[in-house]
Amino acid sequence: MKTFLAWLLWLWMCLVIVGAFFYAPVVLQGFRTPGSSRIVFFHVPMAWSSFIGFIAAAVWSILYLVRRNPRHDRAAAVAIKIGLLFGILATVTGAMWARIEWGAWWNWDPRQTSILAVILFYGAYLALRQSVEEPEKRARLAAAYALLGLVVTPFLFWVVPRITFSLHPDPVVNRSGKVDMDAANTQVLFGSGFGFAALFFWVQNLQCRLEALAERRAALKE
Amino acid sequence: MSRNTSSWASEAAAVFAKEWRCEFRTRYALNTLALFAFTTLVVVSFSLGPMGVARSQGTAVLPVLLWIILLFSVAAGLPRAFVQEEETHTATALRLAATPSALFCGKLLYGLTLVLALEALVTPAYLIMTSLEVTSPWLLAGVLAAGGYGLAAGSTLVAAMIAQARSKGALFSVLSFPVLLPLLVLTVELTRGAASGDPAGVSLPVLLLYDASVTVAGLMLFPVVWNP
Repeated sequence: MKTFLAWLLWLWMCLVIVGAFFYAPVVLQGFRTPGSSRIVFFHVPMAWSSFIGFIAAAVWSILYLVRRNPRHDRAAAVAIKIGLLFGILATVTGAMWARIEWGAWWNWDPRQTSILAVILFYGAYLALRQSVEEPEKRARLAAAYALLGLVVTPFLFWVVPRITFSLHPDPVVNRSGKVDMDAANTQVLFGSGFGFAALFFWVQNLQCRLEALAERRAALKE
Repeated sequence: MSRNTSSWASEAAAVFAKEWRCEFRTRYALNTLALFAFTTLVVVSFSLGPMGVARSQGTAVLPVLLWIILLFSVAAGLPRAFVQEEETHTATALRLAATPSALFCGKLLYGLTLVLALEALVTPAYLIMTSLEVTSPWLLAGVLAAGGYGLAAGSTLVAAMIAQARSKGALFSVLSFPVLLPLLVLTVELTRGAASGDPAGVSLPVLLLYDASVTVAGLMLFPVVWNP
């Protein structure tokens, strides 16, 4: 069953790639190089899955604090690692697109600022994990720190756009709750979003099992 | 209930009093904070040169430097409050003596008084040395008070975490700066507003909201951090 799902995911992602380049008409309004807007099918889902990862990590952290099961701690830590990877990929692809469209890799656009701060925060989370040896203590402190982040980081997303102006295209699902895209684009984008989210949880699950096996092996050796 | 509340308050007050009594024995945090802040202040002011920053740029640049001085001074002095408990092995006694939330409030109050004293020392000296003119002093006072509280609250919780880890000094900066970053963005923007007189893009209530969120998070998370 698991192998079947993995193959299904592979097929799905292939369809997304084909759809992004051959099916979706693209052309978002007012772009200097309209072709570059195809990045929306990869960059945006990456950013989404990274945030899904951080929220999932917060849920696992709460679960750990309630039940004290090491499995939840491992799931939270791995979700943050993979979420960080997706976040970095979103930042890098965003910077490449910014070079093409705005003429500079980095210009402290509110989105760039906020995601950088989030990356710093979860980088600090990993640093905290590394500097505590005792597994129980490490899990406890890390869970508390992850939840602190959930309280603090929303401020950035609210405050920074009010201080500096932004060139970033409007959020796909914008304030009025509507999607300003034609049907084919929307299908590919949400298809890709679903695919990336599934990819995230698949990789997260694999990594969790891998780390659990590594821990068992270490315990057997002793 | 009222008896519980009063015993909780007296526990918090006792922790606060104990912190200051310990502090007056060595004056470690006071001396470190004051000297660190003053040295940085001198370095900043000297590096800006005898002419200082042009008035047109002053309101943009100088508030940033002020808050950087305050942030690094706090990082130099505040973590001591918890690191010392672990080093002298008094943490266990403290765990037995006080409920976690009362302990957190006592420590937070101690951190707050320390930061406010630091601000009272640094800010006037900074304004004089850099000749930054403040159009609305009351807003500046409000930002310093609310920002100081945020610095103390965020640092207290993070200090409790790093006290239990290895490499405490460096780790405090790594862990606390991302937490304090939204606070600094807010305070710098508001200080700019106070200096130039223009309304800032954000308002003081947002800063108070940050303070309130960190306090609530601290009260909820501190028992987890503190109790093994």
